[in-house]
Amino acid sequence: MSIIYVLIPIAMLFVLIAVAIFFWAVKSEQFDDLDRQSVSILFDEEAKPSVTDSQTETKSEQQL
Amino acid sequence: MTSCFHCNELVVTGDQFTTTINGHAQPMCCPGCQAVSQAIIDAGLTSYYQFRSEPGNRQTALVPEQLTQYSAYDLPEVQQDFVHKQGNVDTTSLSIDGITCAACAWLIEHKLKPVQGIDKVLVNSTTQRALVSWNNDTIKLSEILQLISQIGYQAAPYQVDEQEKQSKADSRKFLLRLGLAGFATMQVMMFALALYTGYFTELDIEFRDYFRWVSLIFAAPVVLYSAQPFYFSAMRSLLSGKLNMDVSVSIAIGGAFIASCVATIQGNGEVYFESVSMFTFFLLLGRYFEQTARQKASVSSSNLHKLIPLTAHLLKDGQVTEIAAKQLRINDIILVKPGEVIAADAVVVSGKSSINEAMLTGEQMPITKQIHDNVYAGTINVEQPLQAKVTALGQDQLVAEIIRLQELASNNKPTIALVADRLARYFSATILSIALVTYIVWSFISPEDAFWVTLSVLVATCPCALALATPTAVTCATAIFTKLGIITRKAGVFEKLTQIDHVVFDKTGTLTCGHLTIGDINIEQPYSQQQVLAIAAAIEQGSLHPIAQAFKPFFDNRYVVTDIQHHVGQGIEGIIDRQKVKVGKLSFVLPEHSEPSRQHHSQHIYMSIDNKLVAQIEMLDQVRLDVKDTIAKLSGANIGLSIASGDSSGHVEYLAQKLGIKDVHSGLSPQGKLSLINRLQQAKKVAMFGDGINDAPVLAGANLSVAMGSGSAIAKNSADLILLGDHLSRFNDAISVAKQAQNIIHQNLLWAFAYNVIILPLAVTGHVAPYIAAIGMSVSSLIVVSNSLRLLRIKL
Repeated sequence: MSIIYVLIPIAMLFVLIAVAIFFWAVKSEQFDDLDRQSVSILFDEEAKPSVTDSQTETKSEQQL
Repeated sequence: MTSCFHCNELVVTGDQFTTTINGHAQPMCCPGCQAVSQAIIDAGLTSYYQFRSEPGNRQTALVPEQLTQYSAYDLPEVQQDFVHKQGNVDTTSLSIDGITCAACAWLIEHKLKPVQGIDKVLVNSTTQRALVSWNNDTIKLSEILQLISQIGYQAAPYQVDEQEKQSKADSRKFLLRLGLAGFATMQVMMFALALYTGYFTELDIEFRDYFRWVSLIFAAPVVLYSAQPFYFSAMRSLLSGKLNMDVSVSIAIGGAFIASCVATIQGNGEVYFESVSMFTFFLLLGRYFEQTARQKASVSSSNLHKLIPLTAHLLKDGQVTEIAAKQLRINDIILVKPGEVIAADAVVVSGKSSINEAMLTGEQMPITKQIHDNVYAGTINVEQPLQAKVTALGQDQLVAEIIRLQELASNNKPTIALVADRLARYFSATILSIALVTYIVWSFISPEDAFWVTLSVLVATCPCALALATPTAVTCATAIFTKLGIITRKAGVFEKLTQIDHVVFDKTGTLTCGHLTIGDINIEQPYSQQQVLAIAAAIEQGSLHPIAQAFKPFFDNRYVVTDIQHHVGQGIEGIIDRQKVKVGKLSFVLPEHSEPSRQHHSQHIYMSIDNKLVAQIEMLDQVRLDVKDTIAKLSGANIGLSIASGDSSGHVEYLAQKLGIKDVHSGLSPQGKLSLINRLQQAKKVAMFGDGINDAPVLAGANLSVAMGSGSAIAKNSADLILLGDHLSRFNDAISVAKQAQNIIHQNLLWAFAYNVIILPLAVTGHVAPYIAAIGMSVSSLIVVSNSLRLLRIKL
């Protein structure tokens, strides 16, 4: 049983880290726009192809 | 029928407007949507259409004239109110109309990011705002606003609500407190479970004390940091000589924590760390709900307060300069161009024009003004340039008079004592006296138990469920209101809504759409209706008169007009195909005729071609589509109805008759409206609907006030509720939601009381073990929360 004298302080350390991360997240405005950030990863990936599309279009126009 | 690819509205113009998107020609409903979608495609942002979850905004939505003129935003005097300057980098926050989903935020960011001179763009789709930083040497603010409007959004700086500044900081703090309480409570509960088992099996004293110390360490930040708001609120209320819920909450938290610490140090008695932490967590959760609802409301009401810079053209030594209105001096001569807002109260010194004074009087048709007539700040010049001499500034203006009246009215607004607040007062007083009696009685019976029994009374009866009863229900109801497009701006709206028994409507802009449309048309042969409307639209194209706006949709570029002449208060003439076309009053169109003098409920305009009458067109201020329905439902619910309008024409009576409203008051000044409401309030609880500046005082004075989303900022400022999208019928929905919310609140309160009534005798007699108190409290809180969540399933 005396192992808990070691394990519980370790658990407390983890909680402390979790709380610190949470405070950091709130303070750096991570929780300000919950609608947007959940899907933002989808947009950014697709942005590049569409830009290159228009670039290739202009290129092909130049070739013509 | 096809629907517009951009905004999903029905396309009624066939394939007149299309945009090629990903190689397919997509139908568009109007030139506005077409231009916007083209701009989006040209910027290489096609993915917007792939990823949006909501359709875009219909682009023909009427944008106030002032908002389309961006150049005024570049004046340094105007910018100093909202732009933060650092070196040559300017930063400002803009409110953006038309953000419907996350794709919109992406679209705006990607439209602006590549633009040279723009440092940073951050669009927040929850608050519908953008934070923009730009280099003021390379790009101007007006150009940025222009760019955003190209892709179909209206951006403008906004006035930050006082309430919002406060509540933003509060919300973040609350989140920190709540999160900390959540983490700590989980840990404390875990050790509490170990301690609970000690009741049933043998737990070594050594381990028991160890678990107690660990619990103490976790509970300390909850009590010392997370629970702070309760202590402050309790102190405030004690200082003002009142009792509120937070007094008994603070005593319970403080008492239980201190007692548990003492027990831990001495190694005897009971510990209540888990009760204290969970209790704080649940209470904070309720407060946090309340806080976020309030935050959302204040954000959206700030967004509605667009900062429209008022500028004036100062005429000095034959030179015209654009300056901010606040730099004007008395006796300055200003030039007011058509379409401009007059910047100060003034007297006309040269020119003749029509002025739209709807914001002051509610009357829609422009009034003709000539030399020596007074014009007022905030009214809009419609036809010809005017020169005017400034006579009053700032607080001396007519508008300021109305604002003063509004402030006066809001100070005298009848208040409603909220049920929960009243209950809390009695409840706290009762609990505190019962606790005191318990302590005294027990100190006679067995002095060593007195403290612990009293403590268990305080913990067991802790008004957790009671404190959650109202905020959770209000949060759910607010969420439904938001979905319906209703913004609640003030607390207590739900309670007020259920008590309303009389509704007073303003006419223009509330019952009617506030802009003219075309009614019946009488046409002489051989012209067709389409031809007549297209010709009229061509003639009226340059005019800002409300009548001209009605013809806009019929514009057809096949008709080319030359020699357009505006005749103030009469009409417009021009040449089409070498034929002289006149549109306007009958006496203007055909000089030999005189204007028919009979008072009509509507207005007619006439058109002649080469002095031959061609058409008679009826102009109507269309009644909002859902007015009849709304009114029928309201009177079905035994709610009295009145109309109070500033308009003095016969149209008010006609409209009232048509809608079946018997109590009609027309031609009222803002003061007159306010005294009408005050008279009604002696017997009834009155709700007022309005949209204009002239309605602001009466909105501030009514028991409950409702402003239309399209209304003026000052009207919205005094309103309790704002109807976005201007659907009147939403008010009926609002009442029914409020009634259900009220029901839920009553159920919650009843349950919370029942729980306390059952647990109190047990606690007083010393039969409640700490784990029973803790379990009872959490279960009753959970029941209250899930009962409130039922509100979200309401079908309307």
